[in-house]
Amino acid sequence: MTMKSIKLVALFAGLLAVLAAVFLYSAVTGSIKITAPELVAGLLGGTDERVDVIRDLRLPRILLSMLVGATLAVSGSLLQAVMRNPLADAGIIGISAGAGVFTLVLAGLFPMLFFWTPLFAFIGGAIACVLVYTFAWQGGLSPLRMVLVGIAVHMIFTGIGQLAPAFVRSSIGQANLISASTFSFTTWGDVRLLLLYGTIGLILAYVLFPWCNMLLLQDKTAHHLGLHVVRARVVLSAVAVLLAGSAAAVGGFLFFVGLLVPAISRICVGSDHRVSLPFTALAGALLVLAADTVGRTVAHPLEIPASVILMIIGGPFLLVLLKRGGRMYGN
Amino acid sequence: MEINRVVFSHDKRRNHLKDIQAALAPGRITTIIGPNGCGKSTLLGVMSGLYRPQSGQAVIDGKAVHRYSARELARKLAAVHQQNSAPADITVERLVGYGRIPRRGWFGGNGEDDREAIEWALSCTDLADKRETSVEQLSGGERQRVWLAMALAQKTPMLFLDEPTTFLDMYYQLEMLELVRRLNREYNLTIAMVLHDINQAIRYSDYIIAMKDGRVVAQGLPQEVITRESVKDIYGVHVIVGHEEGAGIYIVPVGIGTSTRR
Repeated sequence: MTMKSIKLVALFAGLLAVLAAVFLYSAVTGSIKITAPELVAGLLGGTDERVDVIRDLRLPRILLSMLVGATLAVSGSLLQAVMRNPLADAGIIGISAGAGVFTLVLAGLFPMLFFWTPLFAFIGGAIACVLVYTFAWQGGLSPLRMVLVGIAVHMIFTGIGQLAPAFVRSSIGQANLISASTFSFTTWGDVRLLLLYGTIGLILAYVLFPWCNMLLLQDKTAHHLGLHVVRARVVLSAVAVLLAGSAAAVGGFLFFVGLLVPAISRICVGSDHRVSLPFTALAGALLVLAADTVGRTVAHPLEIPASVILMIIGGPFLLVLLKRGGRMYGN
Repeated sequence: MEINRVVFSHDKRRNHLKDIQAALAPGRITTIIGPNGCGKSTLLGVMSGLYRPQSGQAVIDGKAVHRYSARELARKLAAVHQQNSAPADITVERLVGYGRIPRRGWFGGNGEDDREAIEWALSCTDLADKRETSVEQLSGGERQRVWLAMALAQKTPMLFLDEPTTFLDMYYQLEMLELVRRLNREYNLTIAMVLHDINQAIRYSDYIIAMKDGRVVAQGLPQEVITRESVKDIYGVHVIVGHEEGAGIYIVPVGIGTSTRR
């Protein structure tokens, strides 16, 4: 094994270990206190009432936050490859807001179609994505132009989202796109939904890693290597929207996950998507789980939404990336 | 390759290529020259399938270039551009290995053929010692050779180079052109390139295609195409055409005089 592969294995092992540790800490910490052995024994068939509560409320929340983190982070990675732009993120450019609005409307009008919300969210996200392309594309996407157009698209959908409660009577009619992501009322139904759609998206993303790598070259070069560049862009964008849309459908409106995590992955494991996509998925899961765990424990009994914590970390990070400009790619 | 009556416009208003009729001689080096904006890079783009002509066609082996799938085309011709970008941390060997994608598919590993082609491309371009180096650590000349190596790894009968020397100093320019000529002589590659320097075009080409305002104004052997009158007409520059024993003809620009370029 070369030094490089040893380093990679160590990084992955370290990441998995930290993820496991945070998972365990998160599972035993909160308003119900329990020790790890008690929890494991209870889950394996005990009759501990505390374990039942944790199984019904805390575990789905933990799993959902990890899934949301993984899907949003990988979605960001794909968008950055497709737009050849380190600032692309489903939250920033309005894809999540578009998906969220469609989810709200569907939930309000046809609550019985719960299972199909990710597909509906996909349509909303796709509309946002097409809008960003239409207005920002000039033979390429300049980072600043994309961010500006993205903010406009985000505003439009957030505005519509705020209007929705006035017209759509529903239990979640009061939901707010920005503060929705506390994961407080997560059910196993949400987990199953995201597990299904998110896993499909993650597998598609991984299968398509060679296209992501090709798109880091210039379009001309990729074309000469036999890549149908337009088709690759459309397919990868669709997968990214599916991932972000699925997350949004279960309440994952988290800014900056898709921005922070891929950037950190690039620094840790480099630009090859074969390695960076799995790393990004795991790191995304860790980041959101950690944010949610901190959010529900640090000011107990008050809850700070994970989205708020991520804004506080992510905002400064975005400033640093903007300062560095587009230097991430290019030789 | 034959180029039959190609008309192409980038913006559908003005034709950037007007009724281009030309051919590439197999196993020869053909260089396209002309002033800025004359359409020479655009022509190379049509020839390599980047742009689809509004009418007419570039034909390889009896089939129009734009009728090939991207992958089929990538087995027929490879191209190197003046400016390229790659992730900074990619190694030389891996980038050159990308040249095998049209042959081995997106997912397969490198087979025996692939490894041989990569070794061959690295040794042709004198990069075998740099295989583990990341692209960002290379000099400008080495970097351009990596892109050439990637194109060579495609093992295509045709190789196109769009101003391959523009950002290189004189030494690396000549190094690149000598390498191109050696590849042509040793492996019988059909080469088309766009160059700015007329003396280099004369020295390293079998044939020259001269363009102006989207038209081909002259094509043939270098000494036929490059004359006092033709350079004056194409570039609006007065030149002296000299002849040196052993070096062939050369030009010395002496000024633009009172001529203005339309």
